[in-house]
Amino acid sequence: MHHIYCPYCEETREEEEYSYTGEAHIERPKDPASITDEAWGDYLFFRSNPRGIHHEMWFHAAGCRRYFNATRDTHSYQIHETYKMGELPTITAKTIAADTLAAQQGDAS
Amino acid sequence: MTSVSTNFSAGDMMESPLHHHVAHTNHSDAGIVMKEDKFRGHLNLRGNPEDTAFTSAVESVLGVALPITANTSVRSGDTVAYWLCPNEWLLIVASGTQGQVEADLRLAVANKGADQHIAITDISSGQTLVNLSGSGVAELLQKSTVYDCHVSNFPVGKVVQTTFAKTGTTMCKLEDGSMDLVIRRSFSDYFFLWLQDASEEYGLQIA
Ligand SMILES: [Zn+2]
Repeated sequence: MHHIYCPYCEETREEEEYSYTGEAHIERPKDPASITDEAWGDYLFFRSNPRGIHHEMWFHAAGCRRYFNATRDTHSYQIHETYKMGELPTITAKTIAADTLAAQQGDAS
Repeated sequence: MTSVSTNFSAGDMMESPLHHHVAHTNHSDAGIVMKEDKFRGHLNLRGNPEDTAFTSAVESVLGVALPITANTSVRSGDTVAYWLCPNEWLLIVASGTQGQVEADLRLAVANKGADQHIAITDISSGQTLVNLSGSGVAELLQKSTVYDCHVSNFPVGKVVQTTFAKTGTTMCKLEDGSMDLVIRRSFSDYFFLWLQDASEEYGLQIA
């Protein structure tokens, strides 16, 4: 079982208290009437499915009943961070790649 | 002050969620003592904790400031306020006073000019307050909830919303070491049957 930090309860709680609710940071088109059916379809139905870093929403169902975001590695299941709604992730696929590269260069020297 | 008549009196006409579970089990040296704190007024309150007009209005009615820190509670006489999330609280007040408290809160919030994004909901009939005490409570909670209720992680006054078997609860630790649990009316039968089963090894007394 995961231990997941809720940014609102400010505590690490059992996974059993939470539910996963899908990809985060999906912005609703400002003017749906003026976009193509394809763009609207993308917004409604299509989600990324990366192997690796994924930003996603979780719901603290048995706790404070707030939604928040998590940065999770879909390969290792490691949750790198959780953050409040409206905030942006500090850990992304790019920062992880940069960290990995820096570590490799550190090893080489 | 707006006057609100409470058109019921706790007694013959009302049945608490656990009313039919009268003491069929009654060990004298029970490790678990369950006491239902019947018919308390339960109000759900939502508002912006950064709006001082809102917080001071609520404080003027309750006599204490709302708890702003996560997982905490405040107590004043018969009134207790639980933190539920950054903009939501549960107020538990004396039986029968919830209508008056709700009216007083609405008036105070309007008088102080708090912003209008507030909500006060009387949920008294939807849930009940149960107190668990006794030497077996710590172990019983270990079996019943995923939360770590050890004293080192659960000081007096702390409030935790978590699972209780397959239902949920809001727990608060009292000064005497006992635990108050808010349970839903619709799960009260389930809660009691679980409690009966889980406390078999300690003995259960209904106070
Ligand atoms: Zn939470």
